[in-house]
Amino acid sequence: MSNDRDGAKAVDYSPADVLVIGAGASGAVAAWNLAETKMRIVCLEQGGWSDPSQYPSTGRDWETRTQSDFSISPNRRAQPADYPVNDDDSPIKVANFNGVGGGTVLYAGHYPRFHPSDFRVKSLDGVGDDWPVDYDTLEPFYAQNDRVTGVSGLAGDPAYPPKQSVLPPLPMGLSGQRLAEGFNKLGWHWWPSDSAIATQPYNGRDKCINLGACLYGCAQGAKASTDITYWPEAIRAGVELRAWCRVKEITVDDAGMATGAVYFDEQGVEQFQPAHVVIMACNGVGTPRILLNSKSKQFPDGLANSSGLVGKNLMLHPYASIQGIFADELDGYRGPHDSIWSQEFYETNKERGFVRGYTYEFNRGRGPVATALTGVHSGRIPWGEGHHTAYRRLFNRIAGMVSICEDLPEEHNTVTLDPELTDAHGIPAPKLSYRISDNSQKMLDYSVARASEALEAAGAYDLIVDSPITHGGWHLLGTARMGQDPSRSVVNEWGRSHDVRNLFVVDGSIFVTSAGVNPTRTIQTLALYITDQMKKRLTTLFD
Amino acid sequence: MTETPTAIPDSPERPGGTIATDHIFSVDEQTVLRELAGLVVTASAEYDLPGADDELIFNDILASARDVEDGVRAALLRVADCAVELAQATSELEGQPEMAPFVSLVLQCYYRDDRVMRSLDMEPRPPFPLGYAVPEGDWSMLAAVQARGKIWREV
Ligand SMILES: Cc1cc2nc3c(=O)[nH]c(=O)nc-3n(C[C@H](O)[C@H](O)[C@H](O)COP(=O)(O)OP(=O)(O)OC[C@H]3O[C@@H](n4cnc5c(N)ncnc54)[C@H](O)[C@@H]3O)c2cc1C
Ligand code: SF4
Repeated sequence: MSNDRDGAKAVDYSPADVLVIGAGASGAVAAWNLAETKMRIVCLEQGGWSDPSQYPSTGRDWETRTQSDFSISPNRRAQPADYPVNDDDSPIKVANFNGVGGGTVLYAGHYPRFHPSDFRVKSLDGVGDDWPVDYDTLEPFYAQNDRVTGVSGLAGDPAYPPKQSVLPPLPMGLSGQRLAEGFNKLGWHWWPSDSAIATQPYNGRDKCINLGACLYGCAQGAKASTDITYWPEAIRAGVELRAWCRVKEITVDDAGMATGAVYFDEQGVEQFQPAHVVIMACNGVGTPRILLNSKSKQFPDGLANSSGLVGKNLMLHPYASIQGIFADELDGYRGPHDSIWSQEFYETNKERGFVRGYTYEFNRGRGPVATALTGVHSGRIPWGEGHHTAYRRLFNRIAGMVSICEDLPEEHNTVTLDPELTDAHGIPAPKLSYRISDNSQKMLDYSVARASEALEAAGAYDLIVDSPITHGGWHLLGTARMGQDPSRSVVNEWGRSHDVRNLFVVDGSIFVTSAGVNPTRTIQTLALYITDQMKKRLTTLFD
Repeated sequence: MTETPTAIPDSPERPGGTIATDHIFSVDEQTVLRELAGLVVTASAEYDLPGADDELIFNDILASARDVEDGVRAALLRVADCAVELAQATSELEGQPEMAPFVSLVLQCYYRDDRVMRSLDMEPRPPFPLGYAVPEGDWSMLAAVQARGKIWREV
């Protein structure tokens, strides 16, 4: 066992019943949900446990560390847990976190559900594909995940079928209220955001105290990262989480069944962990990378890849940022990133010139250093004389929104293995090739135009627009898609590989389409659903 | 809280906030960088603020420059190419891409200085553990949204 954070005890290399690869958003859920079966569950995670007392918000240099050891870019962070990603051929660069909790350690905690229409894109709008599951099937699993996560929000959002919220909403604040006034003037939808942030003490977590540094780890423990939600419970229930273990490949036997994983342990020594079932949970870049690197006689093009779709259909959610500058003081550096959202432009309206739609998520403001960087690098704050006056015109006076545009699956958007670049263990690095589609570009442009109107209605006198957000590749989706047809999908309607009957995928790679919302609530809900299906089928799992 | 400036802010790399002497830049280079920092953020009598060439702030800049040495050297090279004396070079250097890493460093250190934070009505402390207060806002504004009724699409 090696759940203790102080170092490894003797490692048990006897076969695991279930081997989970990756301890992020979905891996945690899968391990947690299977724990009650009393099977021997082992999880291999390439990074370690985070120490919240070392998160940037505990120090005066917190904004500087967002550019270095807590950068959202793995290439810039380049910590021992990270692997390089060649994203030169993509206008949107990857953002992730590698370690127990995965991306949830850094995520903002925006926590929307998909809508019923999001699972029926082909039938409704003639694009993408329909999912092999629907909203009603997933609803009980959404509700279960909401309870473990402790979702804050307000019931009654007219953009959704009825759903409960577990905790009260985050405060609107001065910024949210100002923006809401603009949306009300235009008669547009807005609502308190559903958020994976505790607004009251919940399950041993403390409530949010508005640090404003959610993207760099929540030192308060209010934000539901899985290292403090699912993992402690899963470990108490007997799951073994082996940190600092980087998987190189999944091995197979002559019958084409997965036999376990080859990995590098903390000392860099190659090890083999045998297993009866393997669950991939390495995200939409990490999972295809390992599958493509798992070549064998039976699977010369990579594991589970008879469709040729492993690594294809990458979806990243192009984002635009549209911020207003206001004359009077708003929230600035105070408060979580989440506040309110708008889904006025969510469902398809072909008169807009594109299909599908997007969500606006409102931003409260930014810290003192970020304000200076924005102002100086955009030419709004001069050097020398005039610096201080110009700075004060921006400080605590910037608020606005980002638009999250639905990205449709396109086979030419890919994750492949880089022919040259490798990680510290010599494993080929992933390479992204990605283009923003015409539909997405029109949606981005439309979202910028409408947001500008809303900000003007709210009283902004100047705008700062960034479209697409270059370093906003934080939603990694679609590269091992679900479906009933083995020639058009990688896993079936309950997450099992069509080709390898004891191999499952539960992370963001299985998404068929991306919807116009952040994905993690749906990723975790699907992980609950898939592992529930596994539990129900234990005696016939490999049939 | 004391009003006396307290040297470099705490950080895991610089526990206790002691002034570090940095040796990766020569004394001449340090002189140029200090003058440059003062051009970017100049002292202000109007706001009673130091410039970024203030001793405490510049020591923070110098200590932190280790992490972005290449970027700082790029700025030094660009300055060496200036057609005029550094004191007159603002219009030539401002906005140049080679200057961006050093300018970012200056701003990062300047806007965490106790005196600067106080002048912005901020308490000179990290966000954690005290956090901040954010007003709840007027939720009655949602009545207008509710009045429009459901907008989600049936399937
Ligand atoms: C800055 C930022 C902000 C975000 N904000 C939001 C938000 O507000 N709302 C939202 O819904 N989503 C947000 N996200 C995205 C969210 O984090 C992801 O959607 C989610 O974490 C994905 O879950 P996953 O299980 O697919 O993968 P991850 O959570 O990424 O987990 C994958 C895990 O696998 C491990 N791994 C990978 N390869 C290997 C290997 N070879 N061997 C062993 N382990 C491996 C990784 O180290 C990682 O821990 C954000 C992400 C970032 C980076
Ligand atoms: S604002 Fe709230 S959720 Fe975000 S880091 Fe602070 S306490 Fe955590």
